Amino acid sequence: MTMLAEAAPERLVRLAPPALGMLALLGLWVWSAAALDSDLLPGPLAVLASMGREIVSGGYLFHLAMTLLRVTAAFVLAMSVGAAIGLALGMSRAADRLFSGWLTLFLNLPALVTIILCYVWFGLTEVAAVAAVAINKIPNVAATLREGGRALSKDLAEMAALYAMPAHDRLRHVIAPQLAPFLAVAARNGLALVWKIVLVVELLGRPNGVGFMLYAQFQLFDVAAILAYAFGFIAVVLAVEWTLLEPWERRASRWRR
Amino acid sequence: MGAAGLAVAAVSGLVVDIRARRFGPETVLGPIAFTLAPGERAALLGPSGVGKSTLLGAIAGLDRGFEGSVKRPEGRVAMIFQTPRLLPWRTLAENIALIPGAGDLDRARALLAEVGLGDAADQHPEKVSLGMQRRAALARALAVRPALLLMDEPLVSLDPDNAAAMRRLILRVLDDTGAAALIATHDRAEALALCDRVLALDGRPARLAHDFASPLDRAARADPDSVARAAAGLFRAAPDAAA
Repeated sequence: MTMLAEAAPERLVRLAPPALGMLALLGLWVWSAAALDSDLLPGPLAVLASMGREIVSGGYLFHLAMTLLRVTAAFVLAMSVGAAIGLALGMSRAADRLFSGWLTLFLNLPALVTIILCYVWFGLTEVAAVAAVAINKIPNVAATLREGGRALSKDLAEMAALYAMPAHDRLRHVIAPQLAPFLAVAARNGLALVWKIVLVVELLGRPNGVGFMLYAQFQLFDVAAILAYAFGFIAVVLAVEWTLLEPWERRASRWRR
Repeated sequence: MGAAGLAVAAVSGLVVDIRARRFGPETVLGPIAFTLAPGERAALLGPSGVGKSTLLGAIAGLDRGFEGSVKRPEGRVAMIFQTPRLLPWRTLAENIALIPGAGDLDRARALLAEVGLGDAADQHPEKVSLGMQRRAALARALAVRPALLLMDEPLVSLDPDNAAAMRRLILRVLDDTGAAALIATHDRAEALALCDRVLALDGRPARLAHDFASPLDRAARADPDSVARAAAGLFRAAPDAAA
């Protein structure tokens, strides 16, 4: 038997429970829509039809792409700045004592307040939109990576120092692998948070994007279109999770027992 | 040994002159001064917690917070830590090859074969025993052709068979390389089995309480009974030296 043949049943066993769960949710949706028989809760086929119409009109993919661009920019910015701040706080007790209050304050600052302030201060611009999303996410990344910085092994740092490993080797071979689980958690939570905030930012102050379209469809009370845009974006986020985050996380932790 | 090339550069000796090492208000090391000639093997003998690891850290250059000076021999200093400190996400061979000056993966595999780990070279540390990890750490230390090899309790936590095998391996590599060695241990028999000289630490702050040559020649160190008798004599000669 080949390895592939052996792996297939294992994959089936692994994927069957979540697939069954999703099927149950789909069934519940179909049943509820049929029972309610109202435009307020369209069934899956009505949502698919609405999605088809939006795609044919050309707007669906454009708005999806605009939102994805904002998510990507805000995500990269938040991960970079948040990781740097978090590591600095995690590795320096003095810095942590000085700035941990800031972190708590920004963690508890409502996303809506940040968004409104960014728009008021910087105008209804793309920069303000991306900055507002990133500022909302940076404290979460920093808090996670602060724990990563605290957990860095002093033993391995001493070993690297003793054997005179160059700084870039220490970063790549000693520090980065220890931070990988923390980065994965920050990235996963970050993606989920960022795309939700991006929709609010678009709803409040952008002329395009999924958030803008959700607001437009809300004004028309077109629930099928609202669900069509929401599901399309959820599908993209799940695709990123399954094709990028999960494989990277598996690769980073494959050395474990 | 030889295939992997464990030659050691000509070196001057180690000169230690530490006046004090303080942590806050507490002084943990008092005046400690000694020298170690090239190729000489000395045991740092003392009870657990006396400051042996602190002293080794200062000698290794990992701790620079002490008052005094440490002149290390020319050439590399390597250390076998009490925990092996291998990168768990790298194979044993990669752990060695990543060290600057250690050579490529082929040399790493050759070194691992020298310490009896030829078959485990591509295993990750967590998948091998503590004894094997210690041997891999020894191979990593040898990879840099050290002029001075520091070992912190290299046999601790090993079962008797593994400890005996590790002891034989350390003696063999020290004979082959000619590196000077400073081995921290709380075990008198281990000190006598491995070293030419015993530096006994005692007190708080720790001071050099005794400094004497081993009563055993190198051939006699292979005999456990001789080592045990000498260890008992050592205890009589230096009753306050170690637990």
